[in-house]
Amino acid sequence: MKTIIYREIKDHIQSLQFVVLLLFAVVLFAANGIVFARKFQTENAAYSATASRFQPDTRFVYLTWQPNPILFLAEGGDLDRPTSYYLYSMGYFNASAPRPRDYKLPDIPKLDWSFIIKTVFSLYVVLLGYAAVCGEKEQGTLRLVLSNPVGRVRFLAAKYAAILAVALIPLTVGCVVSLGILGVSLPQILTWGLASRVLALLALSAAYLSLFAFLSLLVSSVMRRSSLALLALLAAWVFFAVLIPDTSGILAEKLAKVQSDYDAAKSIGPMVEKEVWAKIARLQTRIDKGELKTEETVKVEAGKAFQEGQEKVRFFERSYDDSVAARAGLARSLARISPVALFQYAAEDLAGSGVGREAALREDLQAYARQFDAYVLKKNGKLVGQSNWSFSTQVKLGGKAIQVESPRTEAYRGDMSDFPRFVERAPRLGEGVKAAAGDIAGLLLWNIVLAVAAFGAFLKTDVR
Amino acid sequence: MIGVIYKREILDHLKSAKFLIGFGLTIAIAAAATVINTQDYGRRRQDYRAAQRDLQGNKFDILIYRPPEILSILVQGKDRALGNKASINYLNIPDRLTGYMSARRGARPKSISGFGSVDFAFLVRVILSLLVIFLAYDAVAEEKQSGTLKLALANALPRSSLLIGKAAAGLTVVLGSLLAAASVAGLIMMVHPAVDLSGADAVRILSLVAVSALYLTVFYMLSLLVSTAVKRPAIALMVLLQLWIFLVVVYPHLGVSIAENFFRLPTDREMAEKKQAAFAPYDEELKKVQERYYKGDMSPAGGGRYVELQAMRSRLENDVNREFGLRLSAQEGLARWISVLSPAALYSTAAEQYARTGIGEYERFMESIERYWKTKYMDLQMLRFKDLAAYRKAAVPAFEHPAEPTSEAWAATAPQVLVLTLLALIFFAAASTAFIRKDVR
Repeated sequence: MKTIIYREIKDHIQSLQFVVLLLFAVVLFAANGIVFARKFQTENAAYSATASRFQPDTRFVYLTWQPNPILFLAEGGDLDRPTSYYLYSMGYFNASAPRPRDYKLPDIPKLDWSFIIKTVFSLYVVLLGYAAVCGEKEQGTLRLVLSNPVGRVRFLAAKYAAILAVALIPLTVGCVVSLGILGVSLPQILTWGLASRVLALLALSAAYLSLFAFLSLLVSSVMRRSSLALLALLAAWVFFAVLIPDTSGILAEKLAKVQSDYDAAKSIGPMVEKEVWAKIARLQTRIDKGELKTEETVKVEAGKAFQEGQEKVRFFERSYDDSVAARAGLARSLARISPVALFQYAAEDLAGSGVGREAALREDLQAYARQFDAYVLKKNGKLVGQSNWSFSTQVKLGGKAIQVESPRTEAYRGDMSDFPRFVERAPRLGEGVKAAAGDIAGLLLWNIVLAVAAFGAFLKTDVR
Repeated sequence: MIGVIYKREILDHLKSAKFLIGFGLTIAIAAAATVINTQDYGRRRQDYRAAQRDLQGNKFDILIYRPPEILSILVQGKDRALGNKASINYLNIPDRLTGYMSARRGARPKSISGFGSVDFAFLVRVILSLLVIFLAYDAVAEEKQSGTLKLALANALPRSSLLIGKAAAGLTVVLGSLLAAASVAGLIMMVHPAVDLSGADAVRILSLVAVSALYLTVFYMLSLLVSTAVKRPAIALMVLLQLWIFLVVVYPHLGVSIAENFFRLPTDREMAEKKQAAFAPYDEELKKVQERYYKGDMSPAGGGRYVELQAMRSRLENDVNREFGLRLSAQEGLARWISVLSPAALYSTAAEQYARTGIGEYERFMESIERYWKTKYMDLQMLRFKDLAAYRKAAVPAFEHPAEPTSEAWAATAPQVLVLTLLALIFFAAASTAFIRKDVR
């Protein structure tokens, strides 16, 4: 068995596929290191600059969080998410600026490790493995090999081990190149924590590439001609790596029973506006009837009406955010039919990025919002709910026009040295692994199914 | 003689298992993607119409909606990602579109599952180009390996005729598959009630099919070249697949990555400072007239001047935004230049231009908004201070966005078409030379 593995590895290493893969790995991983080192430096500089400008204010807080230094493992869309929020009292968040800023560039996936592995390496595993059985059959060597005292199971296992080993060589080289570049530009990120994440991701990658190796062996055992086997494998690759994940987004929008962007906009605007103005109209009738007599009582009543309107706006926006999250969740569940998506999402969890990171951050932000509210209540004596909307109009009291507006939080002028600062929890590897457990189990299941199928097919194959 | 070869080759192709697999896959994907995308388009158009009807602004805050592009069914491009709404008033000329919700929340994430989209352009760029490689890699190498090349050329058959016959047959099969896929997509679009194609759209679809054919021809010629230059078909296939991975996956990504990371853009802070500095000379005056305006002074020198100054601020800020926009365009141009030799990148650019789903069409739309703001919108706002009665009577002026004439799209894509044609010619010339010099024994 060792002889076969050794021979196979030697053959593969001398092949064109291997040389080109090694070349691609070095170029892509080097690009990855350079790109993400630069990105992190820029983001970090921006973060430190804003952090140093921080000024306590009871009207709103400008919140930013530390950029993730290990985004190069799996970016997970983090670079397109807002990097800062304005927080108002009663837990109202506003993203500070839409991202990405360079929206004119073509939309392509970021060049992170997970992209290189899930796309380029999986393709090359297919290229390394498609001829494993049918190629030998075509050349007539399969018969010769199996006429020796070599079991079929051992033969196929050796082939499998060789494919995986050969794919992992350029992968390791690439990772070292990327880490080397990152280590030179950002020595502070080279920690044991990073090492454990890298190892976890490499193990995940091995499991992912392994299933493509099994798939190649299966197809190679079933098909008679190697070129056809390759075509079938490429078709399968396109199906799993592109078709399923790429259609899941659109399908989720169709299938999800949640409100769309338009529905939300429609329910929020006219509805709230109508309600608020109806309340103001009722207020005017009460004034006319003589129920409200002073300017102050009118302003208090109007403020109440506006506050209820703001409460509605916040409720609608929250439910809109929830529906966006629900739709994204459905899209991801649909995409999980494909092992490529399983790998992608697990990699994001291990890198502490993506949807998991977003959810954790939201929790932290909400916890901070409660702290902020308590502080404002302590200092100002009351909480005022705000939103993107502001209302103002005039009512008439005894022939005099009174300007009424939706109330805003006042700026506290006294000592604010005890102002709470926002600190986000650093993502922990344990949490990432826990979150990724389902996806990892899925990948293992794919491996088992394909392994059984591959060995089953090969055992029944007519080797003549 | 060429005729005989042509016929034989076509028959061989049509009978081959690889063609049947590839063709079946192509048609299936063309049908599925078009059905999904058409329904998606129908839904987006419904939202657009409902928004126009139900979510109207007023004379002060005017809401402009961007309709979904009909040809995004075939080439999604940036159509879904760039937003649907612009909200304008004299305090702001928008520099980006948002979703139906506000700028902060409605900005649609690139794609909600973290992946891209499947459409006709994807089918051509990825699937059909792969099929082309599978159909052409063995054109010469296989015959050489099995010894039939020697036999064929032992007849009174010039080498050029053999190559031309093979190339013509291969291309016929490839382009036939393309046409079949396009017809399936076209039929589905025509049958669907949400789709209403105009004559200009039809011309654009034809242009799209033509540039797809050109793109596939480049890959065919490349495959022919490799098949001629390499001895064994298995090696030819391997070489071609590596080239394909490089040209379709790696190279365009590197181009965008370089442009993204090595092109300096001004930071948000710098932009904000620039905007502030531009308006600084008028700050004092604005404060004065603002007071008069808030006290109800509606004279041209009071409230009128206030609105005028606010509008001037919007213009000055817009100038800074436009400068930033030009930097973004330059950045995109850099990415395009770096990828100038990648047929896939060239094809995507041209396809998006024809489908009006590229960044160019978006820029045109934003220009229309700017024009509208500077003329019709501001005229209406100023009317309030010149002639209040006329202002009250005036309707909200209609927003117009003239469609891009197809000839302009052709002119814009001329460079891409030229480079693709050159690549095809160069590959064919190289293949012919290699074949004429080839040792056929």
